[in-house]
Amino acid sequence: MSDQTPNEGMDRRRFLTVLGATGAGAMAVSGCSTERIEKLVPYLVQSEDQVPGIPTYYASTCTECSAGCGLHVKTREGRAIKLEGNPQHPVNAGKMCSHGESALQGLYNPGRLTGPKTRQPDGSFKDVTWDEAIASLAGKLSGAAGKVAVISGAGRGTFSDFLAEWTAAAGGRVVRYEPFAHEALRAANLRTFGTNELPAHDFAAAKYIVSFGADFLENWLSPLENQRGFAKSHGYDNGNMAKHVAFAPRMSLTGMNADEWHPTKPGADTAIVLAMANVLLSERSGNPADANALRGALAAFTPEKAQESSGVGAEVIRRVAREFASARPSLAVAGGIGNQHRGAVDLCAAVNLLNYIAGNVGTTVNFGSDLDGGEGYGAVEALGSDMDGGRVSLVLVHEANPVYSLPAKGGFAAKFKKVPFKVSTSLYLDETAALCDLLLPGLHALERWDDLRPRRGVIGLMQPVMQPVFNGMATGDLLLKMAQKAGGAFSRFNAPSWEAYLKTQWQTVARAQGATDTESFWRAALQRGGVYTEAPVTAVRLAASAGQIGSTPASFDGSEGGDSYWFAPYASVLGDGRFANRPWLLELSDPVTKITWHSWVEIHPELAKRLDVREGEILRLTSPHGNIEAPAYIYPGLHPDVVAVPLGLGHTAFGDYAKDRGVNALDLLDAKDGNGFLPYLATRVTLTKTGQYKKLAKTEGTTRQLGRGIADAMTLEQAKKGLTPALALEEQGHEEHEINTEREVEAIHGFRESQLEKRKHGAYAAEQPMWGMAIDLAKCTGCSACVTACYAENNIPHVGEDEVRRGREMTWIRIERFWEGGGDTGDPLESRVIPMLCQHCDAAPCEPVCPVYAAYHTPDGLNGQIYNRCVGTRYCSNNCPYKVRYFNWFAYAKKAFPEPLNLQLNPDVTVRARGVMEKCTMCVHRIRDAQTTARLEGRELKEGDVNTACAQACPSDAIVFGNMKDPGSKVMALKTNHRGYHVFEEINVRPAITYLAKVLHRTEA
Amino acid sequence: MAKPVPGVLAIFEHIDAACDAIRSLRAQGKRNFTVYSAAPNHELEEALGVTNSPVRLFTLVGGVTGCLAGVGMTFWMSLDWPLLVGGKPIATIPPYVVFMFELMVLIGALSTVVGLVVLSLAKRTTGLAYDPSFSDDRIGIFVPAGGDTGSEIERIVRDAGAVEVRNAA
Amino acid sequence: MAVIAHDPHHSNQTHAEVTRDVVNTLGTADRGYFIALGVAVLCFLVGIGTFTMLLKDGLGLAGYAPPVMWAVYITTFVFWIGIGHAGTLISAILFLFRSPWRTAVYRATEAMTVFAVMTAGLFPIIHIGRQWFFYWLLPYPNARFLWPNFKSPLIWDVFAISTYLTVSTTFLCVGLVPDIAAARDKMRGWRHKVYSFFSLGWKGTDNQWRHYTRAYLYLAALATPLVLSVHSVVSWDFAMSIIPGWHGTIFAPYFVAGAIYSGVGMVLTILIPLRKALKIEHMITEYHFDNLAKLTLLTGSILFYAYAMEYFIAWYSGNPFEQETFWRRAFGPMWWAGWTMIICNAFVSQLFWFRKIRTNLTALFVISIFVNIGMWFERYVIIVSSLSNDYDPYAWGQMTPTWADWGILLGSFGWFSMWFILFARTFPVVAIQELKEMIPMPRLRKGGH
Repeated sequence: MSDQTPNEGMDRRRFLTVLGATGAGAMAVSGCSTERIEKLVPYLVQSEDQVPGIPTYYASTCTECSAGCGLHVKTREGRAIKLEGNPQHPVNAGKMCSHGESALQGLYNPGRLTGPKTRQPDGSFKDVTWDEAIASLAGKLSGAAGKVAVISGAGRGTFSDFLAEWTAAAGGRVVRYEPFAHEALRAANLRTFGTNELPAHDFAAAKYIVSFGADFLENWLSPLENQRGFAKSHGYDNGNMAKHVAFAPRMSLTGMNADEWHPTKPGADTAIVLAMANVLLSERSGNPADANALRGALAAFTPEKAQESSGVGAEVIRRVAREFASARPSLAVAGGIGNQHRGAVDLCAAVNLLNYIAGNVGTTVNFGSDLDGGEGYGAVEALGSDMDGGRVSLVLVHEANPVYSLPAKGGFAAKFKKVPFKVSTSLYLDETAALCDLLLPGLHALERWDDLRPRRGVIGLMQPVMQPVFNGMATGDLLLKMAQKAGGAFSRFNAPSWEAYLKTQWQTVARAQGATDTESFWRAALQRGGVYTEAPVTAVRLAASAGQIGSTPASFDGSEGGDSYWFAPYASVLGDGRFANRPWLLELSDPVTKITWHSWVEIHPELAKRLDVREGEILRLTSPHGNIEAPAYIYPGLHPDVVAVPLGLGHTAFGDYAKDRGVNALDLLDAKDGNGFLPYLATRVTLTKTGQYKKLAKTEGTTRQLGRGIADAMTLEQAKKGLTPALALEEQGHEEHEINTEREVEAIHGFRESQLEKRKHGAYAAEQPMWGMAIDLAKCTGCSACVTACYAENNIPHVGEDEVRRGREMTWIRIERFWEGGGDTGDPLESRVIPMLCQHCDAAPCEPVCPVYAAYHTPDGLNGQIYNRCVGTRYCSNNCPYKVRYFNWFAYAKKAFPEPLNLQLNPDVTVRARGVMEKCTMCVHRIRDAQTTARLEGRELKEGDVNTACAQACPSDAIVFGNMKDPGSKVMALKTNHRGYHVFEEINVRPAITYLAKVLHRTEA
Repeated sequence: MAKPVPGVLAIFEHIDAACDAIRSLRAQGKRNFTVYSAAPNHELEEALGVTNSPVRLFTLVGGVTGCLAGVGMTFWMSLDWPLLVGGKPIATIPPYVVFMFELMVLIGALSTVVGLVVLSLAKRTTGLAYDPSFSDDRIGIFVPAGGDTGSEIERIVRDAGAVEVRNAA
Repeated sequence: MAVIAHDPHHSNQTHAEVTRDVVNTLGTADRGYFIALGVAVLCFLVGIGTFTMLLKDGLGLAGYAPPVMWAVYITTFVFWIGIGHAGTLISAILFLFRSPWRTAVYRATEAMTVFAVMTAGLFPIIHIGRQWFFYWLLPYPNARFLWPNFKSPLIWDVFAISTYLTVSTTFLCVGLVPDIAAARDKMRGWRHKVYSFFSLGWKGTDNQWRHYTRAYLYLAALATPLVLSVHSVVSWDFAMSIIPGWHGTIFAPYFVAGAIYSGVGMVLTILIPLRKALKIEHMITEYHFDNLAKLTLLTGSILFYAYAMEYFIAWYSGNPFEQETFWRRAFGPMWWAGWTMIICNAFVSQLFWFRKIRTNLTALFVISIFVNIGMWFERYVIIVSSLSNDYDPYAWGQMTPTWADWGILLGSFGWFSMWFILFARTFPVVAIQELKEMIPMPRLRKGGH
């Protein structure tokens, strides 16, 4: 841990406090209750690792998705206030995503259940004590006589093993179900390679990436890890960058980051993959011998045929196939929610072949590290019918919300209701819990002991970083207590507590790791955040069944008529809906559409023209299985005959933030199992204009940059030539305002010089650092992790749907997304994303106009904003060319942090009052903290001592922060890069933030 | 009410008559009489031989003071707590000219009014005989006169063409 | 300056008639008067109510939609400041120019100035986020000895407007004193006492007149550059910024012309009904309106030129930001506002080339209303449309005013009218002594002097 990579804000003391995060330490934290924390009463007996005002860091593990990233939980005075990535963790290497950052709003969610409850005859819930609750459950359990079922999330760890054994003892079965479980991918792997494992994909090594609807940057397998790899390979690094080609019906965030996006007819992508495989086999020598055996089987699949079915040009398919083959290693990925049609298994199998033929299996596609992924959709359906048939008399739901995440058509809710006794351990009153008879709220991952196994060799540990916010009980403890009450078959579960049970289990882990002193191993693991080893790669060959070429057609329910369109639900910021109760994520504008808070229907401009639909018109989508209504968003990134709707909203319970907000796209789907999984992309819908309109709550003004060079880009060739963005622009024809005559040149440069001369009079004399930032747009994917990180770090309030509608959102850092080409320009549609935050200009226009010096320039080059002094004339915002100043029109903070969300507030950052202007401070509190630390240690501030929340979180490492006066600093290295430019350079405000132009890996025509 | 001053109050309807009266009074060496009129009148001023009012000195002094105050305030306050904004000089002339100008006008105007009040009060008006018609369409001349001199004055104003003459005492 | 013709009407009146007619306007109030006053007070109360809500909940109640951080309040602020200018122009500048036609109308316009500036002065307080800290804009020694930022145009505003208010009020009061004295001498009973108090013991002695005339001259001389400077300073609130559509060197003269234009418009709107209500038609006549109309024509034409220049420079500069802004001003989402301003200001004023229109009261009144509307929209367009599409297209946004915007606007009109209506029946709205100064007094001997 001492060879810590320094740029994670880990100075010596913090390193020590992490060391201090032992069981004892955690107990000490638990020693003070939340009530006391709220009143901020100092410790009566201060525990040695708790110094008021000094943060304590605990290593933990993120449970928001199955990726299992490592965390460093920053706690102050015994409450978690910020989640940061664990730099040692192999999955996220210190990085975070929006979902992970927002876990705190799960922890402090006002919708959390305050304690155990039982349902009364009249249907309402009544608070009970834990003893009563456990007693009643024990009673029911003994009565259930083996007809017990447990539905749990697919997370794997000591608890899931324990749960399996426990349920077995109860004579029941566990169904582990994850809505986005990639069952199709597993089935395909079984067919092609004879193993149903999921491989690890090495995006970092790939030189050429082809994705067939796999949104690997959003929700496909391990998104954050994928993005880290993708940024490494696809980010421009003197002359080298991978190319990314996407075939998909919809341009998702992943598609936005593709150099080529080819809209494909839903379900027709298998043909493209096979055609590519065919091209490889027929044109390339040196293919694996067993692959050559498939030549005959594939011969029929020509690019021409693929063109007929998919609408993608044969020459494109050929070219991509050749490029794919010539780039070594390359990587093809497929499947995922956005593209889960009935033929998904065939698609994934075909992609397996493609990878195999191209020789990527074993290089970029590695088997051997995966663990099982739960029973899958089939099992849930089976369980449903069991419930229906009265073959289940007690069901326990743990970390799952099937009533919401399964299409209503399947009537799961009705079947579930038939179970005589239903128990939920959910932290929130979600749709499933609302139907249960007994609510036994568990503890949040940050409040309990637990571990998580994202993959073989990696075990992430969790420890209680604080006293539970409410009166919950770790489900482990609950089940143990039950077992001890029930006795009998349960008698072997005699551990006094879940912590004790976990530690005993870990002794086996310790031995497996070859440790003799299990206790010290445990402590070390706890400090590290778990055990991280690399599982050996197992070689795979083609299985006998590999030759089975696509047989299941991607059929679609609903009329094929001209007035019906493919319906493509997809997962976005809110995932499968589990994040819908978190204001940070509700207000986080969707990376693609920039819409917040509500549902929307994406339709293609052509279709919109044809149906005369304008943005915001509420459309009714009708499928054979149901209908929904949502406002239209005209989106060019679609196949013209596809309409898309994001998943995750339309909750009927799940707290005030989620309830009755938007619509649930699943309502349009059939619940029938499409061999082993739920086919999301399997419906056609008809559109009805309602004539009503709803202004979209989106954060963007216009979608075009009007040639203003905000998010600049250059082609790979230009980048190789070392062109500056301006020169690149000139090459592309649209030259800037030219300066012709000598006199003009002199005049303008003369003026600029005189301006700079004037600046010097005012400049502070003292020798100070000069803080600055460099943002590499070749790496930035627009994932918006930085935005949520900033919300968490800086106490930024959410303003709500209506205020967003008036453009009053407070995002100190926002991701601006512009479109290039597309539409009637004839050029392919390309995206440009750029994180926009306060540029901390040297000649800041906002400063001189403030009548009261609330905006001024600090000696270390920051653009300071003094909230207490601000009277709110708002002139500074008017005069800001980047529009990155945000005004408190109302007392937003009062509304945004109801109990207990306010416990998350960062004590180092002012909560802004009504009527004052606020903006990015470059995390000045972190800077001052680092300076103090350095001074206490009697040394100079050095590179990596301080980092901003956004830069720290950025999974692509696109944002780099540092001292511009230090020539050796990473930030200066980037600032001097030829791709560097300032936004609106022509107005000469001299920003402290340099952007590095995006690099487009276009095809050499 | 101050105690009334004895004297003669002549009321005129015609401007030339009033001027004649003033001239003859001045010829008689009378200086301390008071002329009432509803509006300033050049003929009266000529007859009285009015010289420029010293009120302009107040204006000048006030204006200069104001301008200097503007310089002092802006520069001292800027340098008292120097804060860098927009990379501009801490204290600089161009934006501060506004304050020099505004304060010049402000203090200049106020001191002019002060001047007006002070100078007007310098010569007493209380206790002097007055008639409401003076603010309407008559011109009045009040000559302070003790005892016998009154008749002499009365003769002068009547000859000049006063429409009415009163003895105030 | 407008043509200075001799006014035939003055000679027909004697000093006595002037005093009588003007004094008759005082005190006596009919039902219509109280109705008008009541309406004004009602509007003012609406404003108070709205402001209370703003204090309670926050500025968010108004229609602000970032990037439009200034909108109706600042628009109305500039509108009222502008109104003020005509008054000072007529009372001070035309005084220096010795143009006889100002005499009959200047008192009313001067009063209008004072009340307009009083109204405008409220807005810097109303529109800020933390109204209760407005005094932080003043250079007073606070606990930390932190002074205001004299580089900020907003502080320039504070000084310019407070100076303007003080000086124009002083100017008005000084002018009033002799007239109040005249009124005093006509009044009986308690009225006499009241006016005696306000006449500050004015007797009209030679000594008083000696200093008075001089002082008045110097006040006029100070007010003249002031009136030009104030709206220049206000224009710099915009011109000193870097926003396309604001950052223009033409702004100071452009705004001053606009201010006088709008002010004269308001003068017409007020005088036409006023002279009827106060039965002083024979004092404020066609002759005055003709001259006022000419003034409107002049300033309106300057605006015409300024508008043309703005577009020309936007095109000629080759600055894409500037060009976009002005394109959208004419054809963007706010095209209707843009054209309202151009038609009402640049074109409608051109009707005054015709004497028939200049002397037709109905026409004058209707046009003056258009002038007011046009000038309000000029500020609305300059502020809102320029802000709604500046540098970063991603951040662009359109605002729509809410009840909170309209409430304050209505309140400001109520507040202004309330004061003016109270003034009109309490103090002479026609300058008695200055009129008399222009009417030759009777003589014994013909010829003579």
